[in-house]
Amino acid sequence: MVAHHNPPVQFWWRERQRAEPVTGRVVVSIPQQSRALPVIVCSALGNLVAYVSAFRGSAAPTWAPFVFAISTVAMLTAIIVLGAHRRDRKLGLLAIPIALVAVILLGGFLAALQVAPPSAGSRLFAGLPLGAAIVVYGIGLLPLVILPVAYALTFANMTLSDADIQRVRDAKRAPRAGE
Amino acid sequence: MLMSDAITSQSAPIETARTSVIVIVALLYLAALVGISIWASRRTRTAEDFFVAGKGIGLFALTVASVSTTVSGFAFIGGPGLFYSVGLGALYIVLSASVTNVMGAWVLAKRMRLLGEVRPMLTVPDAIGARYDSRAAQGLSAIAILVGVIGYMATNALAMGVVLQAIFGVQLTHGVWIGMGITIAYSMAGGILAGIYNDVLQGALMAVASILVFVVVLQLGHGIGGHSRAILAVDPAFLSPFGKMTPLAALSLFFVFTIGSLGQPAQLHKYYMLRDPRQLRWYPLLKTVGLIVVLLLYFGVGLSVKALVSGGQLAPLAKPDDATPAFLLHFTPTLLAALVFSGVAAATMSITNSFMNIGAAAITHDLPLALGITVRNKLLVGRIATLVISLLAIALASLSRTTIAFLAIFGYGLFASTLVPSLAIGLNWRGATRAGAIASICTGLSVTLVCETLVFFKLLTMPVGVSIAGLSLLASLLIFFVTSWVTRHSAAATLADDIRVVMDV
Repeated sequence: MVAHHNPPVQFWWRERQRAEPVTGRVVVSIPQQSRALPVIVCSALGNLVAYVSAFRGSAAPTWAPFVFAISTVAMLTAIIVLGAHRRDRKLGLLAIPIALVAVILLGGFLAALQVAPPSAGSRLFAGLPLGAAIVVYGIGLLPLVILPVAYALTFANMTLSDADIQRVRDAKRAPRAGE
Repeated sequence: MLMSDAITSQSAPIETARTSVIVIVALLYLAALVGISIWASRRTRTAEDFFVAGKGIGLFALTVASVSTTVSGFAFIGGPGLFYSVGLGALYIVLSASVTNVMGAWVLAKRMRLLGEVRPMLTVPDAIGARYDSRAAQGLSAIAILVGVIGYMATNALAMGVVLQAIFGVQLTHGVWIGMGITIAYSMAGGILAGIYNDVLQGALMAVASILVFVVVLQLGHGIGGHSRAILAVDPAFLSPFGKMTPLAALSLFFVFTIGSLGQPAQLHKYYMLRDPRQLRWYPLLKTVGLIVVLLLYFGVGLSVKALVSGGQLAPLAKPDDATPAFLLHFTPTLLAALVFSGVAAATMSITNSFMNIGAAAITHDLPLALGITVRNKLLVGRIATLVISLLAIALASLSRTTIAFLAIFGYGLFASTLVPSLAIGLNWRGATRAGAIASICTGLSVTLVCETLVFFKLLTMPVGVSIAGLSLLASLLIFFVTSWVTRHSAAATLADDIRVVMDV
């Protein structure tokens, strides 16, 4: 929470900020949804930098896939937050499964980039060499038991309630400009 | 040698009796599709019935149909083929399946279904038109969808040709024509309603078949470990975390297929059809589980064929797209092979039907609306449009010199770069503007088409690891944000009150 005596600077990604008069001061809260937007922009720039680096020389530099992995996970997480967050409430507990999946994906990619390549005698984990197991079971399957379950459990509170549907149906009945 | 001699002996030429069983099951299956189409055509009376199934589809039907259209010929034919040729890197296309459905549900499913509550929504461009109060944005997105639809339909026409070639021994071109002919017939007759209920049959069949094929895969290798050992002995790079691809190339696939999932019209369009928006609660979980079950075939066949070739039980494939047909014909019981062949053919028909419907809607609904033209008989014009875009897709499939997987990446990437910024971000951000949406659609369309054309004619070589689809998606995202920022003063003016409510809840 940031306190201002004057109207706050309008950053373009913040849209219209909510202002509530509290004891004579204007208290402005920046919605989590709006924080997601600069993350999307920065991660798109990160991915673009990784791509552009590949145009210089015969192959992409070693840092490029790291930047690309971090930026992709950041963009994915920010887009999920953008969609899951509502203007009238905070993400609350939903932030935990979203953050957990982000950590799993990022950790999985960074581990996959660092792990030694397999050989004929490599030890197998659930039938696959370590790097492949991290990719298939960690990045591929683990999020299944986290995000879709969290979505279902918080659906009525965080995503869509009967009151929300009624509000939308009421909006349909309201005449639109020009009608 | 990991496999027994008995299994190895199945690699002998396919007997006539085995081929006959496969052909009979395939014909019975096609007869079932025709039956469903006739039933659906009797229930299709209005344009809303034809394009969005009268908004009367339940959760189970929607989920199975959605899984069916997601996997398509790409996942069953192109995917295992890509896996066989580049190893684990091919999995990065489907690796985000456990995240993309829930992301789509949060970002788009709720808002698009609720848009259907406040406005008459038939198509994905309808949502863009309503969001920005712009016929230009609606028309441009329809053009982008039409181009992508033809590319994606060509992918599936080619996959159908490969499957029918394997079943009936016909030439690839004839297989393409037969498969597309059947799909055109049921699509023109019953529209999306026929497609949905055929999808339900196909999706359920593919889930069962994928599990059974995976059991065969496990038996052949005495578990996944057996296949891994066979591959590691000959070609360990195949099972490295990024396979034979560079890390940047594999991550690039992950990026395009994760973020790009928010721009796939065959999925987005289905959100309008759900009977009750509250049913979205279980949709991501059910769809993700269904998708992972069906993708067992992608992973299992790709791994197994490589192991069989590495172990000498199967001759190296002439082309990667032969991986699934070769595995089914040589290593699975006859009835299962017949079931999967029918299911794979059906899955490709299923996604093709969805795209025929989306393309027809773009021609009969979105483009006339953008140009201010009134179409009197949308149902008839829709059926004619279905025929025309199908013929264009057949021509592209026949002329294309690339593999199924790469043709699919083109279609997927085009949808992603043209729809993700304007629709997925735009429906969740009030600051998005009409100019931003139009600029991003034009950028996605032009970057994809120009780069693909230059690469096709060998006038441009992309560096290893850089995908045109990824580059195009990044360019359209950045143009969307920059243009929306420059024109931010107009953001509020283009947002109608009912759309604002849909974006707020």
